Amino acid sequence: MQDLMKKVPELSLLIGLSIVGYFVMGAFNQVGEAGALTGGGAFVLVLASFILSVMIAIVAVIAGVGGGVLFTPIMMAFTTMDTLIIRSTGLVVAMFSGLVSSGPFMRKGLADVKIVLYCAIPIIAGAMLGSYAAIALAEVMGAQGDAIVRLLLGLILVFIAILFIVGGSNTEYPEPGHVSRFSEWMGLKGSYYEESLGRPMSYQATRVGIGGLLFLLVGFTGGFFGLGGGWAVVPVLNLVMTTPLKISAASSGVLLAMGNSAAIWPYIKVGALIAALAAPWMLGQVIGGILGAHILARVRANFIRYILIVLLFLTSLKLMSRGVETLLGIDIPVL
Amino acid sequence: MSEQQNPKESRPEIPKSGVAYGETIYWGTIASAVITILGQVVTFLTPGSAISPSVLLSRIWEGKEVAAIWEGVGVARPANEHWYFAQITTGEGLTMFGIALGVFVVIPALLASAWVLFTREGRPLFGVLAIIAALITIASFVGVIQMPVG
Repeated sequence: MQDLMKKVPELSLLIGLSIVGYFVMGAFNQVGEAGALTGGGAFVLVLASFILSVMIAIVAVIAGVGGGVLFTPIMMAFTTMDTLIIRSTGLVVAMFSGLVSSGPFMRKGLADVKIVLYCAIPIIAGAMLGSYAAIALAEVMGAQGDAIVRLLLGLILVFIAILFIVGGSNTEYPEPGHVSRFSEWMGLKGSYYEESLGRPMSYQATRVGIGGLLFLLVGFTGGFFGLGGGWAVVPVLNLVMTTPLKISAASSGVLLAMGNSAAIWPYIKVGALIAALAAPWMLGQVIGGILGAHILARVRANFIRYILIVLLFLTSLKLMSRGVETLLGIDIPVL
Repeated sequence: MSEQQNPKESRPEIPKSGVAYGETIYWGTIASAVITILGQVVTFLTPGSAISPSVLLSRIWEGKEVAAIWEGVGVARPANEHWYFAQITTGEGLTMFGIALGVFVVIPALLASAWVLFTREGRPLFGVLAIIAALITIASFVGVIQMPVG
């Protein structure tokens, strides 16, 4: 950790500024009481959000899923917040760890700029369509729409968890097999230095056409649910396009940031992204994102799968029960 | 996937277009994080702020919809505009500006990457893809693409 702080002085600056900032906010808090919240309560909420966000970002960056995959379902499952607010903040959470980790990933050659740019267009287009559909659904269906979103999200989380289980450990360095003419023409290949093995590795992306179509769907789902889409970017890059797991995880973070930046503006401009809630989450993602990006180069990404799988299954259970409760008007005693 | 046949086990060359993209994003995000921290401090140190975080947060946690959250707060509910520019002197406006800056920085990063792809690396196909991605993001930023919330 000390080595990292020396190597990345801006991380020290951000951590130092955050500590001083939150100390000053807590010590000289001038915020008045409103509703159920006192000024002190508002501060505790902001501080807790920041700390939780740092932890989520570290796990999310190493797994290449983006923090939105954890933030959005957990908030939808365990809070009564409006889903539009959760989804817009979820996009920020998904985006900022990817944004700040773009620098270290690109510098180390872990994220492939060609793969990122090829996948960016369908992801951005899909994410914008997804955001549009999400807002339209909230406007038209209200609480019923929220219930449908929760139920669908729960089902998607089960699917994601299964993907992570089925993916297994043998996908860390996949073999490309037959390379189509289009894939060859696109030239999505490269090499990187695998620090955990101490040697350079080369790779070649295949099934590039199918990958592009899948990214359109991934973008839509990410924009619609506020997940960011990172959960599916890694499997598509790794399992479909046979890109190494580490390159997939790093490129996924960069792609998330790029795709979500287009999807998030409409939320900002209609006031669905509220700084009082989003700021501590965003800061936590920035600091956790830098930490995660530097840890990723040294670890084997597989063990992170197990943490994610458990979290995804638990959250999906609660989400589906809440969706069914609202739609059918019944009470399911889960968690 | 294969090991490279390199007896010296040297590190592969890093594409400059990727570095240009990553560095622009990285430092832009750091700047946006610093502004966001300052904005939050201003928010909590401003007595009787028109846009109080305890009002907004309590309404958010009560599960109110977007329109109800902004009702009676210091600013009218934003409607397809960059409302935080007009509120930049308030803590909430400054914080939102910090977040928006981080979101915006993708645009110059894409353009910087495209420039390197065209001029230094001779990869016009990927340069065009970077430009297209930048144009879509710009369209969203300026409001060409709007959402059905009013």
